Parts: sequence; structure tokens; C-alpha cells
Amino acid sequence: MGYTTAQNFTLNGYIQDSINRETLTKVQIIATDSDGKELRTTTNGYGFFSLTLSKGSQQISVLKPGYLSIKETLLLDKHLNRNFYLSPEAESLDLVTILANQNNNVKSLDMSTQTISGQTIKKIPSLLGESDVIRSIQLLPGVSTVGEGSSGFNVRGGSIDQNLVLMDEAPVFNSAHLFGFFSIFNPDAVKDVELIKGGIPANYGGRLSSTLDVKNRDGNKRQFQANGGVGTIFSRLTIEGPIAIPEKNLIRTPRKIPARSSFIISGRRSYIDYLAKPFLNSNLTGSQFYFYDLTAKANYSYKRDNLFISTYIGDDVFTAQGLFGVKWGNSTVTGRWNHVFNKRLFANFTYYYSRYRYNLEFMNRDATFNWQSYIVNNSTKADFNYYLSPKNNISFGFQTTHYRFIPGKAVAKSETLDLKFGLPDRYALESAAYLSNDWNANGRFSMRVGIRFSQFSYLGPGQVYVYNRIPGKQGVLDTTYTTKNGEVVVNYFNPEPRLGFKFQIDKTSSIKGGYNRMVQNLHLISNTTASVPFDVWQPTTNNIKPEIANQWGLGYFKNFGQNGEYEMSCESYYKSLQNQVDYIDGATLLLNEYLEADLLNGIGRAYGLEAYVRKATGNFTGWISYTLSRSERKVIGINDGNWYPNRFDRLHNLYVVAQYKLNKKWDLAANFVFSSGTPSNFFSGQYSVQGYVIPDAGSNARNNVRIPNYHRLDISATYTRKKTKKYKSDWVFSCYNIYNRRNPFSIYFSTNYQGKGQNAAIQFSVIGSFVPAISYNFTF
Amino acid sequence: MKLDFNPNKLSKTIRRLLFLAMLFAQFACEDIIQVNVQNQSKKIVVDAFINTINKIQTIHITRSIGYFDSSRTEPPVTNAKVAIIDQTTLPGKLFVFTHEKNGKYHFTPNPLTGDTFTIGHDYALLIVIDQDTLLSLSRLHPTAKIDSIRLVDVEGNGPPINTTGKYIELIANDIKGKGDFYWIKTFRNDSFLNSIDQLNISPDMGNTSIKEDGQLFIYPVRYSKVNDFSRSFKSKETVRIEIHSINGLAFAWFNLIANENQNGGLFATPPINIFTNIVPYNETKKIGLAGFFCMSAVASASVVIP
Repeated sequence: MGYTTAQNFTLNGYIQDSINRETLTKVQIIATDSDGKELRTTTNGYGFFSLTLSKGSQQISVLKPGYLSIKETLLLDKHLNRNFYLSPEAESLDLVTILANQNNNVKSLDMSTQTISGQTIKKIPSLLGESDVIRSIQLLPGVSTVGEGSSGFNVRGGSIDQNLVLMDEAPVFNSAHLFGFFSIFNPDAVKDVELIKGGIPANYGGRLSSTLDVKNRDGNKRQFQANGGVGTIFSRLTIEGPIAIPEKNLIRTPRKIPARSSFIISGRRSYIDYLAKPFLNSNLTGSQFYFYDLTAKANYSYKRDNLFISTYIGDDVFTAQGLFGVKWGNSTVTGRWNHVFNKRLFANFTYYYSRYRYNLEFMNRDATFNWQSYIVNNSTKADFNYYLSPKNNISFGFQTTHYRFIPGKAVAKSETLDLKFGLPDRYALESAAYLSNDWNANGRFSMRVGIRFSQFSYLGPGQVYVYNRIPGKQGVLDTTYTTKNGEVVVNYFNPEPRLGFKFQIDKTSSIKGGYNRMVQNLHLISNTTASVPFDVWQPTTNNIKPEIANQWGLGYFKNFGQNGEYEMSCESYYKSLQNQVDYIDGATLLLNEYLEADLLNGIGRAYGLEAYVRKATGNFTGWISYTLSRSERKVIGINDGNWYPNRFDRLHNLYVVAQYKLNKKWDLAANFVFSSGTPSNFFSGQYSVQGYVIPDAGSNARNNVRIPNYHRLDISATYTRKKTKKYKSDWVFSCYNIYNRRNPFSIYFSTNYQGKGQNAAIQFSVIGSFVPAISYNFTF
Repeated sequence: MKLDFNPNKLSKTIRRLLFLAMLFAQFACEDIIQVNVQNQSKKIVVDAFINTINKIQTIHITRSIGYFDSSRTEPPVTNAKVAIIDQTTLPGKLFVFTHEKNGKYHFTPNPLTGDTFTIGHDYALLIVIDQDTLLSLSRLHPTAKIDSIRLVDVEGNGPPINTTGKYIELIANDIKGKGDFYWIKTFRNDSFLNSIDQLNISPDMGNTSIKEDGQLFIYPVRYSKVNDFSRSFKSKETVRIEIHSINGLAFAWFNLIANENQNGGLFATPPINIFTNIVPYNETKKIGLAGFFCMSAVASASVVIP
């Protein structure tokens, strides 16, 4: 054994950006003792680390891509609390880049996990020159989308509601602006983004397919700073700075002392409505069509405590005066408290409120009709990291969330009428507790074993519907009854084991594997090709069972090149899904009191292979990602009970992302996307009854035909100017879909097309031409 | 009340709105393309809408054709034996339909001999084609009474009313009690306005989601859907409105046809097969079936435009 605490000391602290004092996540700290024995850890989501090391001289390396590494020798003869400050690469005088990753992707236990920094996102050529979080992660292996104009993203054959999208710990229910052309995350405010597709650790739960954890920046603690941009479609502005500046800073000093607290406020607003105004006909002149979002955050640190409060509010608004109005958006508030109990125990307590809402209004001269729908949740959680020993890192915690669903409240008003109707509210309580241990057996083998227990209660007050069901058929209402406030209608309890292992083959290669079971109790009810903002979120009820997924994954990780600058991974996965929600043909999903009668229950499976090569450092960076995958479903009542491909099933996905730093002024970038066509249903026959032509799909095969493949090339060039020491600006020239391809989004059928008596197949392209754009960004 | 709260129509409206929104982006486009699909199954199609009007009643039996077949000539089924049986009378009264031509089977009602359909009775449609027997059931429900057809002068000021002139409003009350369904047909000089956009079907007074019942049909039913707003009525023209009683299943069937017809674009739902109430009674081989059997009572009123 040879291991006793007497000979060991703990080194702990935070790691921050040397310039603005942002805490840095996922930073590697590697300690090498005089015998060459290596121990490593990474900072947690709050930039905290703790390493227990043997007494004596230790060489400490602190590494993060995009930052200059620190190498320092410490003599450890007592417990040491020590912060490290990393300098951003761009701040260095020449373009020397230091190999920062030190085989982390090979050596860490994480698999099926991708991290992108705000910096990388900004470099990827994008639609209308506006970099975007969700559209960037759509270029990663295992991630795909139905097409432009579809909200959300699909991970490893999962539907869009199976991704847990977190913004500063609060879940958001619709991450899209403008039907998915942009996401709600303002890249200027984003610190980093982590997408976990498999081997999902026990602290995450509630969705089947992935976790997208977006962490926003805390704000510059040293000096006031503003940055923003003027683009073709919207403008952005971010202001950040210290609150309560230390007195010493009021005297001009070259290196200002960071404040204890800072803030960041970041906003965007689109101006499509102003641009479109001249093109609108007279009865649409009063129309508005825009989105906005505002992200604000403040923090305060004192000794062992950090407090954060952050909020997001955003809406998409689309109204035509006197005709209709549509509005939808998320809002969140998160409060967090980090506390370092002792050198090995770190805790974070979170409260969040998250709401998604949409509102629909129709009007004419005499009457108005207004319909609103909400999903509101309040949650508290506690997460602990306990750095037990050099070989064991334990994390544990619990969470409880209260949900309120307001599926539809409608008001119809006219001179003679004031009618209120809609669907009854629904309530639910979800709780979870987890425990996980990262165990480093020896240099070669390490393992993560975790368990999460989740519990979901569908609560009163409300109406409970009991249906008689024949599989595959519409349910027949048996009874309904009313429940009292807080009365439990039904309880579901699910254990969710999580497992991961790593076997180190040599310094630059390893094999990793994992298993995870996930449970989902919120279901997005949608039967359209693309998800619409009006899709209804439903809780698990007595009629809708919790969705369950089991995923197995195995991967090979290898770094190569002169300095190991190329990272390569090859991963395979198999996922089996239970209680997938589908619909009877012709189901009515909106304002339908008996919606559950129209829902069918099926199973799913998804499997695939992902290959990924990335060059993270140097003047030339980028990645190639290829995914071979299948995603299928089997539901009694659909497709004669046989397996059929999901609407978002794509066999091949090839993404190439390349960025080249030409010189100090010019950056060039390009990306190429190829995806196999998605499946669709085609009509094959027709007949007429009572003079009405009725199309016919023949046999009941669902998604039996493929629409053509999708491919696209985007390019961009960025010209950076440094006017003064503080004022920096850049111009981004970009072109999306440069070879002008009309990528089909869907093919649909028009019976009696334009009233000419002919039936037609129509290919619908959301973006049917190349889209050039210029945008201007600044920082001062 | 001038609004319709049918959720199906609502989702359709939303879909159209969003579609419009997408076109705002300017980059969207639509192309007509050639698609190679084969009509795998030539389904037997039964068009059997029978009513109480004292005129020749027709059941049309054909086979479905390919989706892109623009000839629109559906092959007729000419060798069928077709009859309707009154299941309420004992023994069941038989109404035999004889083949006229092109798959059209006729029956002429005769009030003098009592060969008429009776409101409240249950009817069965029996069709024998080769060795296969097909069956369908329908009750003949009572229909709403028409009070009058009112003429209204409307100024056309943009969509949906483009032409200034005379339009009509149907003054009729729904039958008291829940669960009545109607198909309201407008005839202009004896020709039925059969555009799918004007398909006018109504549960009770036009809305299942509110409590009221037995009153005037709601505005969209009594006004919006009985007019063709691209053409106002001219002097000397005859307008006739018929209210056919249908049942809930027929209502759902019509509704699906209307929905399917407006499906498309970004937020399209998967194409579906419209169900049928024609079922195989004993079949020697699996045959594809489509179409509908519905018995209707009819109230009718007409007006000559002054």
C-alpha cells in the first residue's frame, strides 16, 4: 500500500484567466513527483481543483487549449491553497503556441464528450456571419439536424427533446431563435460549451440522449470592457466589468487588482422587421418580426465562497397588426453558491427558475382570440465534489424540481362574448440523488462508477383521464376524476446506473468504454417535420410512461503527430430506448383535452460509429468528423408494427471544419457538411370521393422514401484591426452555401396543385441560395 | 361570435403562419420535382353518400390510380352487387342498386311504394365483388332546419373578400343536444361549390369545445364557408344550401381530407392514409379499401338573387 495520509498534502485552488480573472473549467493540472510518477485532475465547472500529493518536490503543469501553459515546481511540505492564472495565447507577443492538451483526451475518463470554447465557436463560418453555439455543435460527431430551420439538434439518433440544454445550470426548453437559424446563446457571453453524448456522469439526468452544458462568462474582474457586433440580421452588445473596484485601482497601476465581484450584461436584437418593411404590402406594414435576448450575470467572491446570480430572458415576436401575433421565449434565473468546506470538499448549491412560454393571438375587427401556454419549473440542487484520495474522487448530490405545465389557456373576446377555455394545468415533482466515484486504479486503468436514483410524481390538482387501450389504436376514455392539490396520481422510481472505464495502452492511446441508463419524464409532443415553437411539453402521467434509454459505448483514442497535435478518436455506440412517444395518424396535438388517447408507445434503437480527427493547435486548426449511424423506431399501430427510420435518421454525416491563421490580420475558415437524406413518406396513389381528390400513401409504411442528400460549403475571412491598445475590431466576410445548392428540407405533395387539377411533388428548401454577409465586431 | 376554435384548424393556421414566416427569410424556395413512385395497391374505392332527397341515389365504385396520373380516369368496378339493408325494420328492407355505367350503381326512391329511407334507422351497405363481401354501417340522423338564406352586401377590401357585391348568410339553428354533425353544401345555379377550401362541416353549431348548443351556426359555418369570396353573387343567380346530417365518423373523415390537403412546407406532418368505414366482411384475399358510406337527411333552401 504505502499510502498514509501523514505523507500526503493537498494542493487546491481555483484556476483563472490572468487578464479578466474568469474562472476556467476543464483545466488540467498534472503533478509529477521526483520519481516521475504522474497524477492529474481537471478543474470542475467552477474552476476549482484539489489534488492530494505526496510530500516533496512536485512539478505542476497547468494546461488548457487556447492558453499558455504553466510549469512550476512546488515544494509540498504542508497543505497548500493556491490559485493559478493562465494567460490567453492571443496575448502572447508572437504566434508561439504551446502544446496544451498533453493527451488529455486520451488520459481522461470522459468519453463521447466534446468541449468547444466561445473562441472556437466564433471562428466557424456561419449563416449571415453570426456565430452560433447550436449550429457549431451540429458539426460535431454524432450530432445532426433535420435541416436549416429546424429547432434543436439530434444526438446519436435521439429526438430534439432528448437533449438536456443547460444555461448556467437552468434547463431551457427551446434553444432556438427564428426557427433554429440561431440559438438563444449569445456567443459573446458564452464561456464554454460541453456536449456529453455518452458515458453521461451521474450528476446529469432527465433526458435520454445528451447534455449540452453551456456556461456563461462571469464578467471581467479587472476593468470595464465592451464588445459587440453589427451584423446583417442582428446586433450584439456586451458590457462587463468589476463591481466595487478596489481602492488601489483608482490610482493608475499597470496591473489592476481584481475586484471581489463583477458583472456582465449581454444583449442582442434582430432587425429583420425594419429591413423587410419596404417590401411588405400595406396591410402588413404594422408588422413586427424580431427576436431579442438578454443575458446578465453578477458574482461575488469572498475567501471560500463564491456567489453567482444569472438571468436570461429572450423572445421571438412575430405580429401583423390587426391580424395575428405570435410570441415565444424562455426566461431563467439561477442563483448559485460555491463553498469550499475544506481542502478536499467542494460544494455548489443551486436554485433556478426556468420558464418557456408561447402566446398566440388572432384578431379581426370584431373579436380577438388569445392563447397562452407555459412550462414553469423551480428547482434546488446541491452538488458535492469530495477529493477523497489521489485515487478516488467522489461526487454526490441531490436535486428536486417542481413543474407546472399550462398546456393552453385561451380567451376569446368580442363585443358580446368573453369566453375563457383551455386545458387544465398539470403539476409534477421530480427528485434525484446521485453518487459517483472516479477511481484511478493505477496509471493504466481507471473507472467511473455512478448511480442516480430518479423519482417522478405526477401531482394534482387536476383532471386525471383513464383510457382503455388496444395497442396501436386510439384510447377510449374510461373514466376521469379530479385530484386535490398535491395529491399523487402516479409515482415512478428509476435507478440509473452509470459506468465508464479507461484502459491506457500507452502514453498516446487508450481504450474507453461506458454504459449509461437515462430516464426522461418530460416529453415534447410534435408530429411535424420540424419542431415548431408551439409544440407541447407533457409530463409523464398515468398514461405516458417515463422514457428510458440504455446506452453502451466503446472507443479508441489516439494522439499522433510530432507533438501529439492531432487527436483522433473512434467511438461506437448502441442505444435501446423504451416508451418512445408516437401518434396515431391524424392526431390533434393542440388544445386537445384527450391528447393522451392519441399517443402511442413504442421502442427505439440507435447505433453508430463516430470517427473524429482534430488539430487543436497551430496556425492551421480544425477537425474532420464522420458518423455512420441508424436511428429506428417500432410502434404497434405504425408501419404494421415493423421497424421504421426516425425522421432525423441520417446514415452518413461528414463534417470538415478548417481554420487558418494567415497572418496577424487575416483569418480564413471553411466548413463542409455532407449528410445523407432524411426519410420521408411519399404518396403513391389517389382517388376521389364526392368530387374531393384524396391522396393515398399505399401500404402504411412510415418514412419509407429518402429525400436527396444534403451538402454545403461555407467560407469566411476575418480581418482584425488593433487600433489602440484597448480598441480592437474585426470585419467578418462570409458566404454560407457558397456553391448555391438547393438542399431539400422536405418533399411534400400538393394534391390539386394551385387548383390546376394536377398533383405535384414539391421540394422545399429552406435555404435555396448562397447567403453572403458582412458583420463588424468590436472590443474596447 | 365570429371566431372558430377548432383546434385542427388552429394548428393549420399556425402552420400557415409559420410557413409565411419562413418565407420572410427570403432564402426559402420551392421546386416542383419529378418523383418516381408506383401505385403499389390499386384500392377499391366506394363513394356511397346516400341522402333522403327524392332523386336517383348513386354509389360509385372505382379503383385508385397513381398519384401523378393526371388523366384522372379511375377504372370503374362494374361487376359488383350492391344493396343497402334497413336494419331497423324486420325483416330488413332491401334497397338494390343496379349498375348503370362506369361503376355507377343507381337506386330510384319511390315514396308511393315506400321505397324511401327513414330518419333514425340504421342502414347497412353490402357490396359483393367477385368472391369478396364488403360491409359498412351508417345511421340516418335527423338534420337541422333552415330558417332562411339572408343576403348581405359586402365591400371587398382585400383578402379574403376581394369582390364587392352580394353574399349570403345561412340562418339555421343546430339541433338541441350534443353530438350532431352536418355537412353544409352550397350550390350556385345547381353546381356544387366543391373546392376543398369550402368544405363546410360542422359539429353541433360549429364547435365541440364550447358548451353552447342548439343555437345559430357560428359565423365561419354560416357565412365564411358558404360563400366563394372571389365571386360575389350576380342578379338572377340561384343559390341553394343543403344541410346534410352526417355522423361523427364522417366528420372526422372529412376533417382529415381537409387537413391532408393543406399539409406541406416546413411544418408538414407525415402523409397519412385517410381511413375508411368500408370493411371486408369475408375476404378471400387481402384487398385495399378506401371511401366512405354515409346516410344523410337533407334540409334545403334556395334563393334567387334579386
